[in-house]
Amino acid sequence: MNDSTPLIVETRDRVRHLILNRPQKINAIDYAQHLRLYKEFERAEQDPEVRVLALSGMGRGFSAGDDLTAAPFDQDDPFAHRKVELEMGSGPSVLLESCGRLRNMTKPTVALMHGIALGSGYDYSLSCDFRIATPDIRYGDPRIDRALWAAEGWSYKLPRLLNLSIVTRVAYLGEEMDGQKAYDFGLVTGLVDGEPDIRESARSFLDRLTQVAGEAYARSKRTLLASLDTNFNTALNQVI
Amino acid sequence: MPAETINDGILEIKIQGELLDFSAYQLIKECANRVQTESNLRGLALFLDCEGDNIESMGDVPADYAHRSPSGRHGIGPIVQQDSLNALFHCMKPTVAFLSNQVYGAAMDLAAFCDIRWVRSDIQLCDDRIHQGRTASTGITYLLPRLIGLSQAMRILLLGETLDASQLLNMQFAHEVVPIEDWDSKVNVFCRKVSRMATRAYEVHKMQVLPQLDLPHDAAMTHSLGVRQTHVIKDRSEGIQAWRERREPEFKGE
Repeated sequence: MNDSTPLIVETRDRVRHLILNRPQKINAIDYAQHLRLYKEFERAEQDPEVRVLALSGMGRGFSAGDDLTAAPFDQDDPFAHRKVELEMGSGPSVLLESCGRLRNMTKPTVALMHGIALGSGYDYSLSCDFRIATPDIRYGDPRIDRALWAAEGWSYKLPRLLNLSIVTRVAYLGEEMDGQKAYDFGLVTGLVDGEPDIRESARSFLDRLTQVAGEAYARSKRTLLASLDTNFNTALNQVI
Repeated sequence: MPAETINDGILEIKIQGELLDFSAYQLIKECANRVQTESNLRGLALFLDCEGDNIESMGDVPADYAHRSPSGRHGIGPIVQQDSLNALFHCMKPTVAFLSNQVYGAAMDLAAFCDIRWVRSDIQLCDDRIHQGRTASTGITYLLPRLIGLSQAMRILLLGETLDASQLLNMQFAHEVVPIEDWDSKVNVFCRKVSRMATRAYEVHKMQVLPQLDLPHDAAMTHSLGVRQTHVIKDRSEGIQAWRERREPEFKGE
């Protein structure tokens, strides 16, 4: 493991771990990190040795969100041709692309969250199939408290994960959740201890996912996600 | 007839102890449209202690609807009610309902179409239309299953159960239950909080969420990109500056 690598990529027991590793910034995510994640989601999808993808963070938290102090990105950018400089920042966002790729993975995807999971860290978690958290986590999207707003796909995903009544609290009022509240809302699948390492605490859940029949999982997930956008009769035909 | 007042940037409508008629629906529609279009207004607060429609006497059909009123004994239909709720639904600034005592039938619909619902601890909520052989045709059959899930929506709309504060909280219809003795002060504090929010950013959140309820995933992503590229929020600069200076931001809703 390279301590200075901003994104640690390792495979343990057929689980591909992508570990955000900028602990000095509570894993705040800059543009380069979004691009790394975008590429690694695809690599994990294509790798036959990988059965499950787990996203987590080193240090005190999962991720504090976007790195608002980051210098402008001046390296090769696959989305440069689509970039528009706007008063409120550049768009379209790489985060939308990387979250889209994560959501469309056919393998099980899990966000393992401890400490803090806010802003774009929270966005990534919403694109995973499952969310595991520690009870003491600070989880949610406080961007509205700074008049920042995101257009990365949460507005489609959150009302399908939660009742709209809860969406208004979390998204419009920026209400933060601890682990128990997120679990009660149904957003988090399970609560685990964060010490000494959430990846170890969640191991039994990850092991369970590695045992799932991969093709059946992929087909079920595709059907489930497609069914969100269709009517009942069409959904029946999709299953056939 | 209810009246509106403006309190610290929040337009308040109180429908308490009276039934809903066409004039009340017209007022709500006009107020929702005002909040949406007038920059000095930061949100809408609806205070409800109301047993629903005045089915004995809804009043004269508003002139705007004369051409849409079909002949025959079945009356005008729910056009006026639907337009009022539609205006609430499309008001992108914060809308909050404060419910106390009894909220029945169409008054429940008004609450449901607001973003946030606070209930006083003495609340009794019931959609009694099913018991009267009437149908809820205001659009609530679309919204309620999305608000609280189909199972609970069926419980309310098809069984017409009377629900208390804890039941409303558990089924996620109510966001907050407030004891009677704290009601006035807490409601006031919350309204002041809403009036100081970054309500322009709030609008942009809401204008993504609501249309995307009906969009497939890929279309929703394209919609979000479009929204991102076409909406500038002036408060954003203040938000970031305040974050850097570790102070509370002062938003103008722009």
